Amino acid sequence: MSPTALLSHLHRADGSATYTHAGYTLIGSVNGPIEVQRRDEQPEEATVEVNIRSAAGVGSPKERHLETVLHNTLRSVILTRSIPRTLVQITLQVKSFPEEESVSGVGSSLSLLPHLLHTSLLALLSASIPLSTILTSVLIAIPSSKSKSESTSPLVSPTAAELLRATPIQSTHVFAFSGDRRLLLNESEGTFNYDEWEEACEMAEEVCCKEGGVGGVDIGEGMEVDGQEDGNLEKWLRDVVAKKVGEEQRWRVA
Amino acid sequence: MTSAINPQPLTFPRPIFAAVSPHPFLQAHLRSSTSSKPFRANGRLVTEFRPLGVNPGSLTHCNGSAVVRTGNTSVVCGVRAEILREEDIPGTQTYGAGAGATAGEKDGDEHMEGSEEQEEEEEEDDGAEIADLHLLVPNIELSTGSTPTTLPGNAPSSLAQTLISRINSLLHSTRLLRAKDLRITYTPSINPEDPYSAPETVVKGYWVLYIDIFFISLDGNPFDAAWLGILAALKSTKLPKAFYDEELEMILCSDSPSEAKPLRLRGLPVTCTFAVFEGQAQDDGEERKDWILSDPDAFEEAICRESVTVVLEKGGLMRVEKNGGGAVGRDEMKSLVKRSKERWAVWEAVLGKA
Repeated sequence: MSPTALLSHLHRADGSATYTHAGYTLIGSVNGPIEVQRRDEQPEEATVEVNIRSAAGVGSPKERHLETVLHNTLRSVILTRSIPRTLVQITLQVKSFPEEESVSGVGSSLSLLPHLLHTSLLALLSASIPLSTILTSVLIAIPSSKSKSESTSPLVSPTAAELLRATPIQSTHVFAFSGDRRLLLNESEGTFNYDEWEEACEMAEEVCCKEGGVGGVDIGEGMEVDGQEDGNLEKWLRDVVAKKVGEEQRWRVA
Repeated sequence: MTSAINPQPLTFPRPIFAAVSPHPFLQAHLRSSTSSKPFRANGRLVTEFRPLGVNPGSLTHCNGSAVVRTGNTSVVCGVRAEILREEDIPGTQTYGAGAGATAGEKDGDEHMEGSEEQEEEEEEDDGAEIADLHLLVPNIELSTGSTPTTLPGNAPSSLAQTLISRINSLLHSTRLLRAKDLRITYTPSINPEDPYSAPETVVKGYWVLYIDIFFISLDGNPFDAAWLGILAALKSTKLPKAFYDEELEMILCSDSPSEAKPLRLRGLPVTCTFAVFEGQAQDDGEERKDWILSDPDAFEEAICRESVTVVLEKGGLMRVEKNGGGAVGRDEMKSLVKRSKERWAVWEAVLGKA
């Protein structure tokens, strides 16, 4: 199942996006470039501020860690030098997550990360913040093999239910790639060796930014719904924005 | 016609140059070294880590402690064990205490092979038990004066909270500690329900380890220093023998140090942090280059955007964290894993001697 997104629906924010995928719903809003506090002001760059609010409870060190990770990753993508002495404020609210998440065996930080990245990127696009490139992200889970001889194939972007069925999970990897195929972010945890890591990285690169936009890699079963073939997250991203632009331009084109 | 005055080249003393333009300062070092091994402003090679100093068991009121130093980063780590009584645990979830605890528990670790196999079975429930009951409570404090940015009287900064979150997550995902070591069990003399069957061992409480990490001074790479402090402190931790007294109906601890049990660690996960320095294009036409610096200090951390942390064990990787830029791809990661493997041997030697 491919994710769905709604752009620019919050009228008082400069940019906004609501992103839904596999039980997760996140709302992101971006305000910027706006005025920055004197103490946070940087003379040659824009300051990027990320706020993450979880679905339940108050913010904890876990959210601060996610904010730091997102801040570092988005700062490398936003053209901060073109808007110096301003602030780009990104707020992300986790509206819902699947029920099976707490028992799936994968940390909630990791499973949330790709969705947070996509939501913030869509919100940044909606706010027209200057970006050097887009980014896409995916989670790969390698279940532990039941017997020594049988090796299990990695699960690409599994739903919480699929993860639950495949427990115990030996290692989980989140990768994010830029539009020019550079590895921007990686969070891997579990027990794995370098070859497994490299294989997961290659799979992620295929899913995120395979050439041509039509992938041979299945993100999940039933991908060919309505005759559509989605093999590539980058293509999905472009489609979302193209659809929104097309909708807004309809009077001009008529 | 007046003769042109030859302009004098502008020179700075070294510290002024470093303060005014840090990025070109570091780049000048890395580019100017004529040998094949470039070195940094602090005199280290690009691939060189700082030497480690570990002093365990120095604090008297802790069950385990260590003072650890990497360069100018100094950390004090203390482990204090408190008892969590079974009746104070919320909820009705019971964990695999009965399974591994019946046979070999009372005799201790006499038959190692047998208990190893039992551990393999327990391993799946192990992590959940420790995580759900919050048996490990790490806390990091960046003391006032450890860095110029740490001011007194404020709530924990974003950096401290991020560090705590990462350390907590690493403690649990590496399964460093065994739930069995933290359980306080009790086997009654007769089975209260059925006098003719063997008495069942029950869990009467747990040891909760409060791991406090205190930074005396911070000169870059807090994560590695904190993790080294935790490993050294946990290795030196001794838990007193705790038992449940039937008559008093409470958990008592033995006063004699010979009955105390040292804490066993599962393996030795070692962390290595790297920072990526992105060189800027120079006028002399040479290609733009990036350098991946091992064990960055505070000066380098301030000018590097991208950082990579690799956690590995003897047999393989356990964690990779990378964010901030796109300079490190698959090939670079391979060389970083290699550097980390070499570093693993250094940690093993230092912690083994401590």
